[in-house]
Amino acid sequence: MSRIRPIGLLSSVSIALFALSIYYVLLVVPVEREMGIVQKIFYLHVPMAITGFIFFFLAFLFSIFYLKRQNRKWDIFAASSVEIGLLLTTLVLITGSIWARPIWNTWWTWDPRLTATFILWLIYSAYLILRLSVDNEGKRAVFCAVMAIVGFVDVPIVFLSARIWRSIHPVVVKTRSIAIEPKMGIALLLFMAAFISLGAILLWLRTSLSIFEGKLLSLEKQGGN
Amino acid sequence: MGAFVGLIKKDLTVALRRKETFVSMVFFAILILFIMNMAIGMGEKISPDMAAGILWVAVLFSSISGLGSTFSMEKTNRCIDGLLISPVHSATVFLAKMTVNLAFLSLAEMIIVPLFLVLYGNHVQSLHLSLLLIILLLNLGLTSIGTLISGITAGSRRNDVLLPILLFPVITPLIAFTIKATGALFAGAPFQEYAPWLKLTAAFALIFSTAGYFLFEHVLREN
Amino acid sequence: MAAGDKQPVVRVEGLTMEFHGIKALDDVGFCLGRGEFLSLFGPNGAGKTTLLKILGFLLKPTAGHVWMNGQEPDTRNGNARKEIGLVSHNSLLYDDLTVMENLEFYASLYGIVNPGERIEALLGRVVLYRQRHLMVKILSRGMQQRLSIARSLLNEPSLLLLDEPYGGLDPSASAMLTSHLKELRDQARTIIMVTHDLTRGLEVASKVGILSRGKLVFLQNTDGINPENLSDHYHRHLEVH
Repeated sequence: MSRIRPIGLLSSVSIALFALSIYYVLLVVPVEREMGIVQKIFYLHVPMAITGFIFFFLAFLFSIFYLKRQNRKWDIFAASSVEIGLLLTTLVLITGSIWARPIWNTWWTWDPRLTATFILWLIYSAYLILRLSVDNEGKRAVFCAVMAIVGFVDVPIVFLSARIWRSIHPVVVKTRSIAIEPKMGIALLLFMAAFISLGAILLWLRTSLSIFEGKLLSLEKQGGN
Repeated sequence: MGAFVGLIKKDLTVALRRKETFVSMVFFAILILFIMNMAIGMGEKISPDMAAGILWVAVLFSSISGLGSTFSMEKTNRCIDGLLISPVHSATVFLAKMTVNLAFLSLAEMIIVPLFLVLYGNHVQSLHLSLLLIILLLNLGLTSIGTLISGITAGSRRNDVLLPILLFPVITPLIAFTIKATGALFAGAPFQEYAPWLKLTAAFALIFSTAGYFLFEHVLREN
Repeated sequence: MAAGDKQPVVRVEGLTMEFHGIKALDDVGFCLGRGEFLSLFGPNGAGKTTLLKILGFLLKPTAGHVWMNGQEPDTRNGNARKEIGLVSHNSLLYDDLTVMENLEFYASLYGIVNPGERIEALLGRVVLYRQRHLMVKILSRGMQQRLSIARSLLNEPSLLLLDEPYGGLDPSASAMLTSHLKELRDQARTIIMVTHDLTRGLEVASKVGILSRGKLVFLQNTDGINPENLSDHYHRHLEVH
């Protein structure tokens, strides 16, 4: 029972943070003048994007640790981080679309940030496909570690290329210039904290699940002989 | 140095005797050029950027079969064990494989690019020798990361499908830079105008050659 | 070691390999002098391949030490690998290269300059000189295995590793391989062979060992051991563990 406590505590904190964030965004922060109520999705969208990015960075670090130490733990941490990052990136693409529909009058546009986020999504989805395609555990861990490192090294190049790509095209959409009011800033920070706590919980649950899975598998192997 | 030369000589000799890799590389590019022509439609005028896109998509797809076979040849008869047990440093193997891939790709392009100019020449307003520089930089970028990833996919169950799945997302920036530079060149822009993109292409090649140089050891050992 | 104050060629102590919580090797230790031939038996998954990989410096053990000629080689350094030769059930040969080209390529990996003479001498020894310009793919399996032996001797290794060398050979090729292995043993080479063929393994060895679940449960000189009692030992040890 004592093992469950810290995660229980973290979960309570996370739920409280989300409740507070939602209350704050809906009832305290004023409605943005030009875009109206839809703009509020922005308070979800941006923190999710940043948190997703943080998890890809974590996957990069864990993968380096794995190649250095060859400890299974780091492989599990890296894979879980990619899964969480990818989940958040998917949500970023969806919320972005929902926001773009009334504002840009289209579900999708090849805006540089959208394009770059989409490429990011492709890179890390490919990582998960690689995980499915290699059976041997040690081999899979090494290959995936290399891909997580390569993928993250690519991230700044992807964002740079997307920006440059657009600079040639006529500027269809003006950059969203939202003067950040203090209240909006607080709302962003609240959601940021909420998503980071959620990510931490997911990482905890996902890694402990994988570790138990591994233990079960090795027990089965020993019993099978 | 002896090992580096030995590795390259061996790969080239084998490739010379088994022509199917090279033939399929070129043939694949021809197919793409043809299919793209159907996608454009008869008599339609396309922009220089789009023409450049068609050329590099064809090259990109044809590179896959070359990249795949240079690594997987080491898996037949487990020759890779012979490499691993030898004193050769894995970085040397990486550089040799990358060089061989570079040679194959360049050789294939000697056929693909002129063929492209024949088929799509009327969409290309201008041509300049610096196209060779663009090709060289693209090839360096493509083979640096391609050599590393081909090592990964050679160790997986689905070698042929997995290589483009892993490679294409990572090289989208490289393709974007190259298409922009080539498009500008086809439109007749002066060199200074597309030089910045070439610098980015070179940076891409440098970053991923370095990554490959250090990471290849891990990939090689797991094959 | 009994052999006077001579250095053992290979000494292994407390070798343990733990991978993802499973012990592939568990405190393995032995010592081989010059000219000793150790045959290691064990079922699949007993840790034979892991042991060979560690001896070939492809894996770093979790714990324990390997000494070669009295020194602990630096695994990061390629030079340690110059002392190792490998013959496996895979030929490690390129089908589309000739016999000569294959050996020249491997010689280049070991930094051997002007390998011509050495290659010809080796080809003479494995009776492949007349086939030197033939493609490997048209050689018989037995010929390929003899070429593998020549390949593994290019760098004059102190320690020769044999990984199931009888795999895929027909009886006459196997008999030929046995005579080649005996010849190598008589030339005072140090050899470790991993196999699950008890009879053949015993025939050429000067020492036999049994690996079971990562443990070296049996290690003895071959004096007084015949196929029957080796088989008894083998089955008894596998049942106990």
